[in-house]
Amino acid sequence: MAAPSLVLYIDRSLFARRVKDNRSVEQRDPGWKLFGKVPPREGPVKDPKRIQKEYETKSGRAGPGNPTSPRQSVRKNLDFEPLSTTALILEDRPANLPAKPAEEAQKHRQQYEEMVAQAKKRELKDAQKKKKQLEDRCKLEDSIGSAAQTWNQEILPNWSTMCTSRRVRDLWWQGIPPSVRGKVWSLAVGNDLNITHELYSICLARAKEKWKTTPAPSSETETEDAGSSDRESSLELIKLDISRTFPQLCIFQQGGPYHDVLHSILGAYTCYRPDVGYVQGMSFIAAVLILNLDTADAFIAFANLLNKPCQMAFFRVDHSLMLTYFAAFEVFFEENLPKLFAHFKKNNLTPDIYLIDWIFTLYSKSLPLDLACRVWDVFCRDGEEFLFRTALGLLRLYQDVLTCMDFIHMAQFLTRLPDLIPAEQLFQHIAAVHMTSRNRKWGQVLQALQKDQERGSPVLKR
Amino acid sequence: METIWLYQFRLIVIGDSTVGKSCLIRRFTEGRFAQVSDPTVGVDFFSRLVEIEPGKRIKLQIWDTAGQERFRSITRAYYRNSVGGLLLFDITNRRSFQNVHNWLEEAQSHVQPHSIVFLLVGHKCDLEAQRQVTQQEAEKLAGAYGMRYVETSARDAINVEKAFVDLTRDIFELVRSGDIKIQDGWEGVKSGFVPNTVHSSEEVTKGGRQCFC
Repeated sequence: MAAPSLVLYIDRSLFARRVKDNRSVEQRDPGWKLFGKVPPREGPVKDPKRIQKEYETKSGRAGPGNPTSPRQSVRKNLDFEPLSTTALILEDRPANLPAKPAEEAQKHRQQYEEMVAQAKKRELKDAQKKKKQLEDRCKLEDSIGSAAQTWNQEILPNWSTMCTSRRVRDLWWQGIPPSVRGKVWSLAVGNDLNITHELYSICLARAKEKWKTTPAPSSETETEDAGSSDRESSLELIKLDISRTFPQLCIFQQGGPYHDVLHSILGAYTCYRPDVGYVQGMSFIAAVLILNLDTADAFIAFANLLNKPCQMAFFRVDHSLMLTYFAAFEVFFEENLPKLFAHFKKNNLTPDIYLIDWIFTLYSKSLPLDLACRVWDVFCRDGEEFLFRTALGLLRLYQDVLTCMDFIHMAQFLTRLPDLIPAEQLFQHIAAVHMTSRNRKWGQVLQALQKDQERGSPVLKR
Repeated sequence: METIWLYQFRLIVIGDSTVGKSCLIRRFTEGRFAQVSDPTVGVDFFSRLVEIEPGKRIKLQIWDTAGQERFRSITRAYYRNSVGGLLLFDITNRRSFQNVHNWLEEAQSHVQPHSIVFLLVGHKCDLEAQRQVTQQEAEKLAGAYGMRYVETSARDAINVEKAFVDLTRDIFELVRSGDIKIQDGWEGVKSGFVPNTVHSSEEVTKGGRQCFC
C-alpha cells in the first residue's frame, strides 16, 4: 500500500481547493443565515463543535441532490464516503425554506472539506500506526524466525564449542525463540544425574503403584502416625496443587490436556527423590518445563534443575543455607541500591519476605509467563546468580515506587508484582546490576558467607 | 493520606495446607471468594482497617503463611513478631484438626518471650455434608487451650468478619489493660500515633557532609 503518497495527494488537492474557495468567498455578498445574521467576512476558522451542531440540526431535511451540487464534486475528489449527518449539509435546503446564499454554501463546503480532511488524516494516521504495529510484529516474527534458524542450524549442532561464545551469549540474552527454548534449556541444565527415559518410566510406574494403594484423601481411614503423614500427604498435596498451578491457563486442571503429565512428573519425582519429596512451588517449575519439553525430557530437566545447589537448599528448606543466600543477596543489594537498601532496613523488610516465592518458583508465579521464560533463559546460561540479579533488577525497576511505601505496602507490592511489567525495561535494569562486590563475584561472596556461617557467625542469626 | 488508626496489630494465619487460609483472608480483605488461587509459597501479605468501636480503628497486618510442613522452618520465624493468630483447620478434613495441637506447640515454642492470642477457626463450614469434625469437639479443644472457636466459610461469607473482629477486640482489650505492651523492636503491636519525624536520610547527609568540605 502506498499510504504516504496518498496523503500527499490529498493534502495538495485540498490545499488548492481551499485557496480557490477563499477567493470565491470574497466575491460574494453577505446573505441570509439560519442562525441569524453573520458578518460578511467571517474567518474560515470556526469551532468545529458548533459546526457539527449546525449540521445536525439540518440533517434529515435535505432535499434531492442536484447534479452539480458541491457534495458530488467532493465525493469525486476525495473518493471518500462521509458520515451520513455531514453528508446532508451540502444539500440544498428544502423548497419551503429560503435558499442558502452562495457565500454560506461556499463556507459550509469549505468547513466540511476541512473536517473531512481532518478525519481522513486521522484515519490515515491510525492506518499507519496499525501498519507500523503489524510491521513491528512481522519484524519480531522474522527476527524470532531467523534467530530460531541460527539456533537450529548453527548453534545447537555445535553446542559444546559455541555455547560460551560471545555471539551466542548475546543472542541468548535477547531471549531464546520458543521453538528451540526447551532444547536449549535441556542442554544448558544438562543431565549430571544421568537420568534416562527408562528411569523416568520406572519412577512413574512406582508412583502409580503408590497412588493405587494410598486411600482417597477424604476417607475416614487416616491412622498414620504424625511422622509419615507429611510424606504420605505429599502425593495428596500434589493432586490438590496441580489444579492450583497456573489456574488461569486452564490446561493443568482436571480434564485439561496437561493435567496427567504434570501429575506424572511430580509423582515420579517423589519416587526418584523421596528424601526431597514434593514441595509447594515445584508444580510451577514442572509446568513451565512441560510447556517447553516432552514429558520424559521435562522430567530429566526438572530433576537436574532441582539438583542445583541453590534449588536443593531451598526445596529441602535448609534454613541456614537459605539465610546465607539471603545474606549474599543483601551484599549486592546494598552495593547496587544503597538508598533502597537503607529504606528496607529501616522498615525491617527482610529479603526472605519476597525472595522465597521468587526463588522457589523461579519467578514463574510472580512474573508474566513469557517474561518468566526469558528469566529462565538467562538463568540457564548464568546459573543461580541470575535469579538474585533478576531480583535486584526488579527492585531497581521499582525503586522509586518502593521508596515511598511503608512495610506492608512494599511487602504486598513485592509478593504481588504488577500484571504488566515492561520486559525490555526490566532486562535493562537487570543488565545495569553489578554482580561484583569489592572485586568478589557472587560465588565468592556466597562462599565467604558460608564459611562465616560454619564458624557460627552471629551475623546470620535472626 | 493514610487513614488514622489507633493501633496496628500483626496477625499470622496458620494451619495445614489447603484448609483455606488465603481464601479466608481474601474474603475478609477483598470481600470476595477467589474460585482459583495458587498455593502460598513462603508468605503473602494483606491489610485492612477494622473499627472496633465508633472512631476506634485498628489496622490489621495479616501474614498468610504456607501450610506445607516443609515450610515450617521458614514460617516459624514469623511467630515472634505477631500479636494474634488465626489457627485454621478444615472441618471436612479430620487430619487438619488433629494437627491443631502440633501447630500450637510449634507456635508456643517459637514465640518466646512474647505470646500470641490465638483463635481456632473451623473453616469451610458451608460443606456441612462432608463434615468430619463436630462443633462440640472443636469447642472442647479450643477451651482446653483457652481459645475462642468460630466456624467460618469464605465461600458463603459466614463469620469471616466476626472471626477477625473478635480476635482484634480480644487483643485490643489486652493492650488496653496493659497485659500486652508496645515494645521497641517488636512488631506485634504498633501505636498509630507515631509522628512522621525527620527522615533518616536527611540526618545522614547532614552529618556526613561536614568533614568533606
